[in-house]
Amino acid sequence: MTVASPSTGAPARPAILARGLRRRFGAVVALDGLGFEVAAGELYGLVGPDGAGKTTAIRALAGLITLDGGEARILGLDPATDPRVRDRLGLMPQQYSLYRDLTVGENLRFFGRLSVLPRAVFKERSERLLGITRLAPFVDRRADQLSGGMYKKLALACALLHQPEVLLLDEPTNGVDPVSRRELWELLHEFVSGGMAVVISTPYMDEAERCSRVGLMHHGRLLLEGAPEKLLAAFERQGHPRPTFEELFIHEIEQADGVAA
Amino acid sequence: MTHTRLTRSLVRIGAMASKETIHILRDPRTLALALAMPVLMLFLFGYGVSVDLDRLPIAFADQDQSEASRALARAFEGSHEFHVVSHRAPAEAEALFRDGSAVAALVVPRGYQEDLLKGRRTPVQLLVDGADPVVANQVLTKADGVVRAESQRLAGAAFARLEPPLQARVWTRYNPAARSALFMVPGLSAFLLAITAVMLTALAIAGEWERGSMEQLFASPVGRLEIVLGKLLPYLVLGLVELQLVLAFGAVAFDLPVRGPGWLILALGLVFLIGMLGQGLFISVVAKNQLVATQAGALSAMLPSIILSGMLFPIENMPLPLQLLSRLIPARYLVHGLRGVLLKGNGIDVLWPDLLAMTLFAVAIVTLATRRFERKLA
Amino acid sequence: MSLAVTAVDLTKRFGAFTAVDRVSFEVEQGEIFGYLGANGAGKSTTIRMLIGLLAPTSGTGTVAGHDIATRPDAVKASIGYMSQKFSLYLDLPVMENLLFFGAAYGLTGKALRARADELLERVDLRGQGDVTTGDLPGGLRQRLALACALVHRPGVVFLDEPTAGVDPVARRAFWKLIRELAAGGTTVFVTTHYLDEAEHCRRIGLMVDGKLVALDTPAGLKKTWVPDRVLVARGRGLGPAGARLRAAPGVRAVAPFGAALHLRVDPAALDAGAVAAALTAAGGEAVEVEETAASLEDVFLAAVARGGSGSGEGPPRATPGEGPPKVPAGAEPGKAAAP
Repeated sequence: MTVASPSTGAPARPAILARGLRRRFGAVVALDGLGFEVAAGELYGLVGPDGAGKTTAIRALAGLITLDGGEARILGLDPATDPRVRDRLGLMPQQYSLYRDLTVGENLRFFGRLSVLPRAVFKERSERLLGITRLAPFVDRRADQLSGGMYKKLALACALLHQPEVLLLDEPTNGVDPVSRRELWELLHEFVSGGMAVVISTPYMDEAERCSRVGLMHHGRLLLEGAPEKLLAAFERQGHPRPTFEELFIHEIEQADGVAA
Repeated sequence: MTHTRLTRSLVRIGAMASKETIHILRDPRTLALALAMPVLMLFLFGYGVSVDLDRLPIAFADQDQSEASRALARAFEGSHEFHVVSHRAPAEAEALFRDGSAVAALVVPRGYQEDLLKGRRTPVQLLVDGADPVVANQVLTKADGVVRAESQRLAGAAFARLEPPLQARVWTRYNPAARSALFMVPGLSAFLLAITAVMLTALAIAGEWERGSMEQLFASPVGRLEIVLGKLLPYLVLGLVELQLVLAFGAVAFDLPVRGPGWLILALGLVFLIGMLGQGLFISVVAKNQLVATQAGALSAMLPSIILSGMLFPIENMPLPLQLLSRLIPARYLVHGLRGVLLKGNGIDVLWPDLLAMTLFAVAIVTLATRRFERKLA
Repeated sequence: MSLAVTAVDLTKRFGAFTAVDRVSFEVEQGEIFGYLGANGAGKSTTIRMLIGLLAPTSGTGTVAGHDIATRPDAVKASIGYMSQKFSLYLDLPVMENLLFFGAAYGLTGKALRARADELLERVDLRGQGDVTTGDLPGGLRQRLALACALVHRPGVVFLDEPTAGVDPVARRAFWKLIRELAAGGTTVFVTTHYLDEAEHCRRIGLMVDGKLVALDTPAGLKKTWVPDRVLVARGRGLGPAGARLRAAPGVRAVAPFGAALHLRVDPAALDAGAVAAALTAAGGEAVEVEETAASLEDVFLAAVARGGSGSGEGPPRATPGEGPPKVPAGAEPGKAAAP
């Protein structure tokens, strides 16, 4: 699904592009010809079993690992070699990657300075982000004293400071309670409707359903892809009444593994 | 456009440096390591491990048994360098060496006083236990000093014309009391700076890898060189503070002189530190693991700076291959340079080769480290 | 039926902050007991007190018959614990980890070897004995961690978010293991953020701000905390439309659930048809609304919204025309949200 350019009617370049990505680590094939596209204003969900290659895919899109084959493009640029990408890309890795002995405010300030944000701009943006993440009362609290949900919100805030056009999130709601998860998603929806292209990997099936499109990964490639409601409708037509996304997921994986459903 | 790029770079370097400073300040162990340890070590080395020996036990074999010979015995006893343990015959001296009761024996031959009164030069024989060369050296120097002083006392003006035996050791001229503390402080500075610079930097970067924050940094606009410079800057400042501390402590506790230009000390220290920080950086880029980085860092810092820098063992005494090897060790140049400035009062005109050598090392290692530092996780 | 775990007014204070506030409950032998709550609500602290890692400030408790305050070592020897953070050795092969933990609990020689093999079978990791633990995908790693927690055949196991980050297939397999464990008589005390998993528990305790605000079977919790009618709405543009409905009379809560919307309404005031009409009027398109059973997630959201005021208010009483629950002002993030 690409956004049609209004003047020519031809599809505009996708914000995020993965084509034929290949990468192995020793004997393990992490990416096996993975390909998909995400347009601006789209929220693309990447789901799949552990070891499917979701984290590797996201790292490849961020230019953080070398590829054995294929290409990744962010806004038409190669993230591995073109430094211009980094000003327009935001990343929230799966690992806890903020600085534990720095406070909320100090972490934000650090990332703000890395993007060389003018003071006034930083002040306005950080205040806004602290407000919507409800972290403002904790601005002087050290990052290692935040609960899981608050930490993830801070990580998201740091990734959004420079107002990237593209956002990559690797299991951002892992270990986060249901209430905080909802808050994070409300934030995401706001930014997506503002035109950001987002790829999010998640183990939660209900989150997958809230994406514009979902890609189910297994063994380094996509098993299926499409808008959640369309995928569910197709699945239902195959003879599964009122299916949940989880059932769809489990069915597809078991089929792919040759296991009796 | 270039100006803006440079400014942006500087802002990013500044961001990395301030963050690193916060890390250091919030980790009391790092601060303790960097500031308290050098002072502690200097204290230990200076006082405790001093190779200065007092009250060396000496056997005095007086075959003359005269007023003059007894005066000589009193001269030895009176100096606190020696302690006369026996007055027996020379044949027994060797037995005393073997059982360790004495490290030297002075034999005054029969006719000593007679020779003196007749104005003839009088040899006295000094037997030295050569088993421990460090001690032996000290004995030679000190005994020589006592005898000369005694000669002058006896002769007054008449003997003043005579040449005292030549001492070929240049360093004694600048270090008349041959106090090992003065000799060692420059070497010790090199050792301490090397350890803290290498280890702390190694930990700093390997720590980012282990914590997982490297991933976030790589995805941000900050460049490799900016990361490197930003991380090194606070440790550079810390190292310079350390150097000042060590020298200040040396001055207060051991009367360490500063006979040469002060800025040169700073320049030498600065260039040395950059090289050591680069070394630490290189290790942590390669190691990616704090445990390995610490061990590799400690070893690569300690061994060359103790053994090959001239701190404890004179380079001139080493076999040729090791002498050549020591030319690659920045610590050698720092030790040489610091001794030159502090004790001899040398200036840039004499010490520029040391400064140049360390600069070359620093540039080479920082370049190497930055090249190896790939912006990739895998 | 003996009691595997008891807690009586268990309290833990860190300085001025009360992490756990007079928590009391009982868990029977062979029960699967779920423990839910937001991050920072006090779940992990409670568990740490129960397994002897943290001394309570006041209150008492017993695990497997041993007092947690006076005999923590006896407690540790009788329980299995799977911590939230993966704590096995990533650079060791699977079998080595098992052997290590077995030895740590006093098994030796042939008995150790046999037990390790048995456990490998049990958690369905047959043939993976030589694989380096770090190379295992997340779901399999969790199974290994479970095996290591079971090595000494404890009567009670504590699992702290054992399936965090694990995909649905692996999670299903894991819970199968848990049910088998319980069927065999082992008591399982588990915390999770996956509320669909919590349905497997016989009873659930729900913590908010350090207090245990609910303790009941899943069915009981739903009845008490969600006495409203729960409707699920599907369509387009439901986000803004639903938000507009929040203040409407009879609407108690509106929350996104996947791509759909869950609405909790006063059963006496609104039904599916009325809500569908309201949503369409508020801007929704192709709106379909039907009644659905309350889920534990509805319970969770309701309880957190209620309890977030810190006053420990109980569940809503089913009086008609009550209006939506109050959202406490200045609440800490993660503790309360406009449902």
